[in-house]
Amino acid sequence: MTTTALEHELKELIIETLELEDVTADDIDPQEPLFVEGLGLDSIDALELGLALQKRYGITLESDAESSRQHFANLKSLAALVEARRVK
Amino acid sequence: MTDLYLQDWRGWTPHRDAAGNTRLDTRDKPAGTAIPAMLRRRLNLIGRAVCDMLLELDPASNHVVLHASRHGDGDRTLEMLYALDDGDPLSPARFGLSVHNATIGVYSIASGNRRSQQAIAASGAEWGALMAEARGYLADGESSVLVVFGDQPVPERFAAYAPNTLAAAVALRLGLVPGADTRRLVDRSLETGPDHALLPAPQPLDIIDWLTGQQAFIRCARTHREWCWEPASDTQ
Repeated sequence: MTTTALEHELKELIIETLELEDVTADDIDPQEPLFVEGLGLDSIDALELGLALQKRYGITLESDAESSRQHFANLKSLAALVEARRVK
Repeated sequence: MTDLYLQDWRGWTPHRDAAGNTRLDTRDKPAGTAIPAMLRRRLNLIGRAVCDMLLELDPASNHVVLHASRHGDGDRTLEMLYALDDGDPLSPARFGLSVHNATIGVYSIASGNRRSQQAIAASGAEWGALMAEARGYLADGESSVLVVFGDQPVPERFAAYAPNTLAAAVALRLGLVPGADTRRLVDRSLETGPDHALLPAPQPLDIIDWLTGQQAFIRCARTHREWCWEPASDTQ
């Protein structure tokens, strides 16, 4: 499966923002869960990632937990969120 | 006063030569391999060293931990102040790790140690405070307590207001009972002298020097106490 340019950009953003030592872009499967399983991110990472999306793309996430869960499910859903809502 | 006995210790500092002492890690960056990478990424150098040392001294993660640092993580705190000054939102991860008990919190998650864990800052009297707290837990019936002291250089911005501090961390396992490999810690009043008010506050590197025999005493003017090893013991 090919990775889009935006997905690659998001991988780099995740690695840099969350200081994932020993993780490379190739280690992040766009379909795998980002949180708990798969990449294994935690709730602090979710907050940090939300902040990074706001800074980089101007996206403000609603405080609704269910929609955040869907947006943050995996890299593909995150890319779809950025695609749809970015203002910069 | 009840005697304290040193059971074992570990130290980390890149500012000394280990000279074959396997208890002392002198690498620039502590391995931090005792804890999973996803937790390790959040630790600074002192935090990595502390987690490694604690897990070496207490593999079963069963003992009470007393963790002292005079300055804590000044770098993260200062970065947050800069962010606030710029009107930027605070980084949640940076905030979570700037608190004084962050390192032992990460250690607790990684090791599964659910015993009492205490974070101490005492304006230069950290060693005295650690000894007092250790005595308390041991008097309450603990067989051993883990005592940790770590500091890193304060950020340049604060350097004029704080004593020069070299990166070092040290962890000791203490108990009340003498054994084959223990050393007795002599704890006594520091006689008041004209120069004692000028004594620099003991830092983690001083404790390492004392453990390796490079320094005979730890003297703390703020608590009016001094510590030395029972005479005639060899340095470990």
